[in-house]
Amino acid sequence: MKITLHNLKPQYMSESELAGSDIYLQPNVVFEQGQKYMICAQSGHGKSSLLNFIYGSSRAYDGTIDYGEAVADPFVLRRQTLSYLFQDLCLFPQLTAMENLDLKNSLTHYKSSAELTAMLDALLPADKKSQPVGTLSLGQRQRVAVVRALCQPFRFLMLDEPFSHIDRQNAQAVAQLVMHEVDRQGAALIVTALDAIDLFPFDHVMQL
Amino acid sequence: MTLHKLQRKTLIPAQIAGYALTLFVGVTVVILTFQLYADIRPMLTQQTDVFKAHTVTVSKNVTLFKSANKESVYFDADDLEALQEQPFVKKVSPFISSSFNVSATINLGNGHRMGTDLFFESVPDEYLDVDSEAWQWDSTSDFLPIVIPEDYLSLYNFGFAESQSLPVISERTLSQVAFNIHIEGNGARRTYTSRIVGFSGKINSILVPQSFLAWANRTYGAVAHQRSSRLLVEFTDASDERIPAFFQDSGLNINKTELESSKMVFLFRFALLFVFTIAAIVILLSMAFIVMSLNVIVQKNRDLFLNLYNIGYTPRQISRYYQRVVSLITVVDLFAALSAALWVRQYYVQKLTHVFDLDGTVTPIVVATVILTAILLAAYNILIYRIIRKTVA
Repeated sequence: MKITLHNLKPQYMSESELAGSDIYLQPNVVFEQGQKYMICAQSGHGKSSLLNFIYGSSRAYDGTIDYGEAVADPFVLRRQTLSYLFQDLCLFPQLTAMENLDLKNSLTHYKSSAELTAMLDALLPADKKSQPVGTLSLGQRQRVAVVRALCQPFRFLMLDEPFSHIDRQNAQAVAQLVMHEVDRQGAALIVTALDAIDLFPFDHVMQL
Repeated sequence: MTLHKLQRKTLIPAQIAGYALTLFVGVTVVILTFQLYADIRPMLTQQTDVFKAHTVTVSKNVTLFKSANKESVYFDADDLEALQEQPFVKKVSPFISSSFNVSATINLGNGHRMGTDLFFESVPDEYLDVDSEAWQWDSTSDFLPIVIPEDYLSLYNFGFAESQSLPVISERTLSQVAFNIHIEGNGARRTYTSRIVGFSGKINSILVPQSFLAWANRTYGAVAHQRSSRLLVEFTDASDERIPAFFQDSGLNINKTELESSKMVFLFRFALLFVFTIAAIVILLSMAFIVMSLNVIVQKNRDLFLNLYNIGYTPRQISRYYQRVVSLITVVDLFAALSAALWVRQYYVQKLTHVFDLDGTVTPIVVATVILTAILLAAYNILIYRIIRKTVA
């Protein structure tokens, strides 16, 4: 499966702002299943916007996004094809880490509860699992959100600044878990960050 | 269910309780007034009163002078003609009265009999709305149907029975009692079996079919020439304002109960309609209340709904919990309201059943409640989905 962008341009950005971009306003940008993409840009250059456009949660763009096949229902796309780590995480602070995972997993029942526990154990201290997520540190929350992004079938995994609040050691553990799941599902990985990340073996590094 | 746990916390119990209470009160009162009207309606319309509307009885005023000269209470041909000429009078029919001896007896069992002397009058059959099968007589028949004034029964039920601690009797019960009528005159005598087939609120007399009285007066009557002290006058419009003035000036007495009771019926209907309308408004307010509460929930938890939407929940899935809660509360509430209304009805039926014949069924209100439930559920389910879809998408 491929996702192709044609002359994509956020409506709230000028053409001069987008000059020199490898993606915006390019006639034919292809993201292909099985490949790993690094997208670098300074803040305010439309990293999150790009992922929101692809995920379908924002339509404030000109140009077209082609998913290669007819997408009738955006909700099917979100459950079967695209998984997304939101920059603002979109966790439910009143629920525990495990409940947050369960809420996502119950849409597709993709993971068993043993698998959920194992993934969470790899990234979070044991005593934090039963606390409301609102009481966790930002870095811990970010890890919970990464695990949640893995609780569904996907062909494209999009991570928006996944390590912005995580130290190097924890970042390695997160990267390992992500790589394992991406390889297992044969999916594409699209990661955005301010600077290039060396924790994933990227096939393509692009400037936005 | 993690989703339900999450959404349960967004509900506002006090607002839901407020909705349940107002809906309960509104629906109970609406159902009850509706049922009360259905139960009482037969008594408000012609069924209890055998006379047609727009018809009154007219007699001459009895004064000290006239009581000395008995002839002056009768109407002569000139009087009839004068009345007939009035523009508001449609038809004038004199009463015929019996000119022979009448008595009634009833067997009380164990050899005892109770009897009383009576008199009969008659009016043209077309003025009676009684069941025409019961109101029939021919010279070969041994059965004689009669109509008595409603006031006789009221006098017994509300006066005599009350003071003597005797049971009250309904019109239907009394209609089932058979008794004997004996007529006598010109040296002949005959006995009929009889039953009361109707009650009149408009005329204070004991009525028999006119064909019978005409025949009996010829056969048993003492006087060949018939005189009438009372007339039945049919108006083109009973509310014509010239009517009271004319009868006042002519020294005629008009039976006003009919005009009074139609005023009562109007007031009763108006009162029921008023209560019904207020209760219907209460139901609408309760609906507005729950919709406002849902809007508050959505406004307060906008981020939560957006997060659910972002991680892949559809508006339909997000709505489902609220649809179920509101539907369940509404169904339970309406069922409780129906039960309460039926309970109250049972109470008033018990009180009234001795005096009136209540034979209304409760099927209409049960059906109405089910339909109301269906309408409310459909409205809420669509509305909740729309509110949530508008918020997230």
